This record gives sequence, structure tokens and C-alpha cells, in this order.
Amino acid sequence: MPRWGMTIDLSKCTGCASCMVACKVENNLPIQKPEVILQSRDISWMEILPMKEGEGFEGGHAEEHSDHEEPSRMRYLPRPCMHCDDPPCVKVCPVYATTLDKDGIVSQIYDRCIGCRYCTNNCPYTAKLFVWNTPEWPDEMMAGINPDVSVRPKGVVEKCTFCHHRLQRASEQAKAEGRPIKDGEFLPACLEVCPTQAILFGDLDDPSTPVARAAASPRAFRELEDLGTKPKVFYLKEDY
Amino acid sequence: MEQFHFPRWTNKLKQALGAGLLFGPVYIVLIFWFGASPKTLAVGYSPEQPVPFSHARHAGELGMDCRYCHTTVEKAARAAIPHTSICMNCHKQILNEDQRLQPVRDSLASGKPIRWVRVHDLPDYVFFDHSAHVNRGVGCKTCHGRVDQMDQVAQKETLAMGWCLACHRNPELFLRPMDKIVSMTWEPEGDQVDVGREVQQAHNIQPSESRSTCHR
Repeated sequence: MPRWGMTIDLSKCTGCASCMVACKVENNLPIQKPEVILQSRDISWMEILPMKEGEGFEGGHAEEHSDHEEPSRMRYLPRPCMHCDDPPCVKVCPVYATTLDKDGIVSQIYDRCIGCRYCTNNCPYTAKLFVWNTPEWPDEMMAGINPDVSVRPKGVVEKCTFCHHRLQRASEQAKAEGRPIKDGEFLPACLEVCPTQAILFGDLDDPSTPVARAAASPRAFRELEDLGTKPKVFYLKEDY
Repeated sequence: MEQFHFPRWTNKLKQALGAGLLFGPVYIVLIFWFGASPKTLAVGYSPEQPVPFSHARHAGELGMDCRYCHTTVEKAARAAIPHTSICMNCHKQILNEDQRLQPVRDSLASGKPIRWVRVHDLPDYVFFDHSAHVNRGVGCKTCHGRVDQMDQVAQKETLAMGWCLACHRNPELFLRPMDKIVSMTWEPEGDQVDVGREVQQAHNIQPSESRSTCHR
């Protein structure tokens, strides 16, 4: 059984946000009204966190920084769900709606979710998001809804799933041909559109895959590693 | 000091409690009774269709293969409702002036599909894949019943999650040889469990119970 994981090369990420757009289209995330966005209730499974060098993330604690002579530059941190091997969200779900699947993907069952938001509070990466509004699309876009992904109703928690509906399709194909699933057959939508190919995806347990090699490189780090959640999304440092 | 007296209305509590004890169990029984009744679970649901198409005539009497019309069933998640041009392959010659077929001819002329009424309707959060089942020894009849005897298609099984899992946990009770998938009349030679086990081992069938398989 593969253990799916992702690496994001921060030296290649330009913060263009095409991964965010691709994710929204692939996973039926609605286009929100301006008043909803002003309430910070817009949902994006893949989020780009911008940071001015030496200042910390927006809304976070500003780090002490010396007075640079040079103009400061922007850094970007794309943040999907980390798909932890020891997920804090799964531990607190009272109704068993979020679970760690055998292939390492943390999945969410929307019809089981009661919307208590315990998991959103327990996720240190804020990767779990509550649906505040009934999703709506302009009429022209209704035909473009992805039939492989459910449209979530108001009042449940949703999250990045590594596009696991694509995994089902790929594994179905592999099973029909009587072989194990190959590297590169199952890729999430964010990876496909990344213009700089900053994202790699594949089986972390197979050392021959590019993603496993990248995850083992000295540049690799994981967010909030000291919490012991063992995320399966690795970042590659810009400089070391 | 004045003694405490319960107010007079509390006398009625005793009767209310008695009524509760009497009707409470009845209520609980009724809830489960109706919740699990075939009517609630839509068994026997048989809506009238815009064209009185008879599966008994086509699949039964004429012996047409299911896959002649439901073309995608072996390759895709959805067993396609046929395009009207497939109907017209035969019906441009046969019954080509029949009034009952007028919506089909209209549909072919205008390019707008006929609005068939869906019989086997799963909830939106369930993702069923026909190809995964048809290519792995689950026959049409196992879920859809004897369609070759239905003039108007009716739902035969509950399509409830417990019903799905009954097969996913014990597939040998339902599997059949691969060349008998579309057969409506196939019966196992000997014990079904032996036949099912043989098919399961020959094709390495391991029904998934992983969550993202069915719910996404």
C-alpha cells in the first residue's frame, strides 16, 4: 500500500496562486460573495500564506528584525492539508467522520460530520475549514461542477483530500489491468497546474520516486515538526 | 415555618408518566418499524417513464444484451442511459410510426435527451462505480433484480449502506463467473459459496471498505 505524500519546493514557488484556483475548480469550492469574504468565511483548501521577509505571516507575531537597507522581499508558503500520520483532527472527532485511510490520506465524510468544529480547532495548520454558507454558483458554471466530488452542504467541515477521487480512478484502472498503481498515475490538481513545477507528489515509501528523494533531501522540513503530528507534506527550504 | 406543599398541577405528573411509559416503547418500535420498512427505503419504487419502454420485451423476450444500450457500464462509473440514436438503430425500421415512440423521434430530431425518471437513485454523497463491480464478478441481477421480467423498472433492493457492506464483507455469497455477468437466469452449479470463493481467488477480489472509496 503506498503512502501518499507531497513536497513543495519553496525556491520554485512564485505565489501565483494557480494551485488555489485549480483546487477550487476541481473540488467544487464556490465563488463567494464579497461580504462572505469580508467575514473571513471564504474557503480554500489550498492556501498561499504570504510573508514579507523578516516580518512573519500576516496576522502572526512579528519577529524582531533589524533595519534592512535592502528592500524586503516576499516569501510564499502554499498550505494544503498536511495529511499527518498522527492527525490531531482524527483524535477529537466525536462521530468518526474524519479518518486516516490505509493509504495515508486523511479523509472527511461529509454526511457523517455534525459540524462541531472540534477538528478545526485542533488542527495546528488550520487546514480544516467549516462551511458557513450553502455553496452557490452562477448558472453558467453549474454544468462545470465535478461529478466525482460531492457538493458539501452548509454546516460541515471540509478539507484538502489530496484529490482522492483521482486516486480511486487511477487505482480502478490499475486493478482492471491487474497491476499495482504506478508513480505519476495519481496526481492532485494543484500539482498539474503549477507553472514552476514546485509541487511533487507520489509514494513516500518507495525510495525511487522523485517525491521520496526530495523529502529525504537536507533542504526538506515540515511545518511545526516538533508537535509530532508527522505531516506528509514536506517543504524544501529556499536557502540552506 | 410553613411546610412545603407541591402545587396542585403536579398531581397530573403521575398520569403523564404512566402515559409516557405506556406509549414510549410503542413509539420507539414504530420509529424503527417505519425507518426500516421497504417503503421508506424505496424498494418497489417504480415511476412511470415518459416512453413506455419495456425491459421485459427488449431484454427478456428479444434477449438483447444489457450492454447494447448501457454502453459504458464496463468502462465507467455510470451505466449510461443510451442516446436516442441507439433506439433508432432498430426503431427506424420497427414501429417507426408508433405514437408511443414519438418522444424518441422528437429527441433525435431536436438533439435534446428524453427526461427519463431515475429509479436507482443513491444519495449525493455516495459514489458507486459500475465498472468496478461488473468487472469483478457482480452480476446485473444481483443489484437490479430480474430486469428481463419488468415492464416498468422497479427498485428491488434497498441500496442502503448495510446492504452494500453485506456484500463487501462476504463477497463469496454473491459473486459469479465473469462470463455470466449479464445473465439474468444464471444459478450456481452446486454451492454458491464455493463458486464465489473460486471467482474471488481467481481474480484476487478484495472489496474495499476504505472510506474514500464510497464517500468523498
